[in-house]
Amino acid sequence: MNPTLPHTDTLTIQLAIVAVLLPLAASLLNLVLVKSQSKVSGWLSSFAILGSMVLSVLVFAKVWNQPALHAQQLWFVVGTMQVDVGIWLNNLSVLMLLLVTAVALPVHVYSIAYLKGDDKYTRYFAYLSFFCFAMLALVIVDNLVLLYAFWELVGFASYLLIGFWFIREKAVLANKKAFIMNRIGDVALLTGILLLYADFHTFNLVTLFDNHATAAFIGTADNYWITLPGACFLIGAIAKSAQFPLHTWLPDAMEGPTSVSALIHAATMVAAGIFLLARVYVLFSPNVLMVMTIIGCFTAFMAATIALTQNDLKRILAYSTISQLGFMMMAMGVGAYSSALLHLAAHAFFKCLLFLSAGVIIHEMQHLKEKHNLDIDPQDINNMGGLGKYMPVTFITCIIASLALIGFPLTSGCLSKDGILVQAFLWADNKGGFYIIIPVMGVLTSLLTIFYISRLLFKVFLGKSRLKAVMPAWHIEAHDGSPLFKIPMIFLALCSLFPLFSTNPFEYEHSWIYRGFAIAVHTVSALDYHTIVLLSINVLVIPIAYFAYSIYVKQKFSFKTTSLLFKISFNEWYIDRFYHRIIVKDILRIGDLTKWLDKNVLDGTIHLFANTGVAIGKLTVWTDKYIIDGLITMLTLIIKQAGNFVRGFQTGRVQNYLFTMLLVIVVIYVLKTFI
Amino acid sequence: MLTYLLLIGAGLFCIGIFIVLSKRNAIQVLIGIELILNAAILNLVAFGKYDKLNNGGQTFALFAIVLAGAAAAVALAIILNVYKQYKTIDPNAVDKLKD
Repeated sequence: MNPTLPHTDTLTIQLAIVAVLLPLAASLLNLVLVKSQSKVSGWLSSFAILGSMVLSVLVFAKVWNQPALHAQQLWFVVGTMQVDVGIWLNNLSVLMLLLVTAVALPVHVYSIAYLKGDDKYTRYFAYLSFFCFAMLALVIVDNLVLLYAFWELVGFASYLLIGFWFIREKAVLANKKAFIMNRIGDVALLTGILLLYADFHTFNLVTLFDNHATAAFIGTADNYWITLPGACFLIGAIAKSAQFPLHTWLPDAMEGPTSVSALIHAATMVAAGIFLLARVYVLFSPNVLMVMTIIGCFTAFMAATIALTQNDLKRILAYSTISQLGFMMMAMGVGAYSSALLHLAAHAFFKCLLFLSAGVIIHEMQHLKEKHNLDIDPQDINNMGGLGKYMPVTFITCIIASLALIGFPLTSGCLSKDGILVQAFLWADNKGGFYIIIPVMGVLTSLLTIFYISRLLFKVFLGKSRLKAVMPAWHIEAHDGSPLFKIPMIFLALCSLFPLFSTNPFEYEHSWIYRGFAIAVHTVSALDYHTIVLLSINVLVIPIAYFAYSIYVKQKFSFKTTSLLFKISFNEWYIDRFYHRIIVKDILRIGDLTKWLDKNVLDGTIHLFANTGVAIGKLTVWTDKYIIDGLITMLTLIIKQAGNFVRGFQTGRVQNYLFTMLLVIVVIYVLKTFI
Repeated sequence: MLTYLLLIGAGLFCIGIFIVLSKRNAIQVLIGIELILNAAILNLVAFGKYDKLNNGGQTFALFAIVLAGAAAAVALAIILNVYKQYKTIDPNAVDKLKD
């Protein structure tokens, strides 16, 4: 630790480190010590995250709106490159620390009930705690190398949890997809980090971004080598935060348990992209910011249109998440830095709540399905309806979360969304011309948001049960479930209301989060736009909601499912299919080709070598056996034959000897006679 | 006259050789040996014609006959001992000397 820090600051930093390490400890204990399916694991992880939350509150109280704390220690040196390991606690990191733990705690408690009876219960909590550790570490580390490492670790935890039910084919495909699409962003992020190192010879975020000299230099230089790393970081954030064109992994990631979707794919990990943008914000040149704005705005709009027609409960929420992340990215792009973070915090609570509610509903539908042996998809909102009566707590919390999502007054969403839209209008004013299209699309997206969330609420909670219409005989007995479901949901619902964020429910400028990050980008009074935005959205909530009500509850009229717009929306703008046809298929084909090459050419060559070797071996064996051994065998045979031949004379038979003797004498005589 | 005697001698010799080589009985082999000796003695007698004064041929023949008798006695004694040792007098069976 840095010895120059005063004692209390050292204590704060130690508290922050303990807050990060508690979930890791829980994760390791769950992996190693706790017996599988033991009830202990859930409580262990929950208490670990509770401890983290308490510590985070303490750290937050110490650091918020105070000078940032920074402590580091040398990690390793390679040549002249020196990499430190350390933590940097400023407003942004302590806010994220608090936010992550505050969202993770209710999700942990909820998971205890939600995953009850699952045969991988302990493993689930080990993964979840591991995710919390990686996410908390990600927000407090002070250099890019560690940031990248934890960035990968949250991705890895997400991979594990999406594929948690890995016996399902779809879950495996989904986690593979999420992993691969995130890889694209990760490669860009790594490139960005290395480019930045090439520029400034340091990985340290504090030196890079807290140092006013560097910031000023980056701010003034419209340099290719500053723009490029900025663009790389943006791509990294696009992949992590599921923005167009790398957004298609998020809807598929809904294959994981709903509690996981709530924590990772709605509240925290996907927000890590926005967090990254906030961390390195000074790096972005005007061009990169423009791209960021356009991508954010387009993604927000596109995802909202897709959410209009989806039937899978979780998919609707996933597209809603993408849309809201688009809002945050757009806010970052137009310079509404603090509003983006305010929206991040607000969104984390209400979207987490929506997912948890969806989890309860799906849980009940699954229950009904199993009880009555129905052949239905428990996530399909077409099978729901009229559930409001049976599940009052879920209904009410869901309404609060939806209002927050819409940006209805008195909720947190009102503060954050208005802030974004107002600042987008001001930004467009400064730019003039066509740029007005960005805030207008933002408003349009907000209106679409009203419609799709109303549709969801009406289809799920109001009207008549469609299941009952099919089978009028039986009686629905759905309910809110155990208190472990209800308490986290009520907690999150309270967090979705305005008092947590601001004393004044209409003026986002009064929000403490906004003030904590105020860079004062737009000092012009935004009163006009305030009124316009507030009115345009909030006045329209009622007619649009009524419109949705008349369609989905009264069923006065319905959309044609054959129209072009409907088809585009329903098929998710054909983006997945496009990717499949253009990229995936070709890559698979290349894969097949390389496989073929591998099998036939590479393996063939190797087999050729192998076969040649075998043939040579066989030849040597033959030579050895028949030529070398043969020679020796022949020699021995000759000697043996000679021996046998000679031995033949040695019969011991007197008569033979005599005969031989006579024969020799006769031969000698004959020879003497004729020669 | 001499030619006939020599021819008879040669015939006896050949018969003796044949008997010696072919018989499987030591006594018969001994008989063959006697025939060969007799062929030689007959030759001595026949060639005695060129020594009419001292009758050297005939004298040698007598000596030879005596020696042949002694040799036959020794041979019979050997055969008896062989029989004692091997319980056979087949010369082919008596081949321990080869080792």
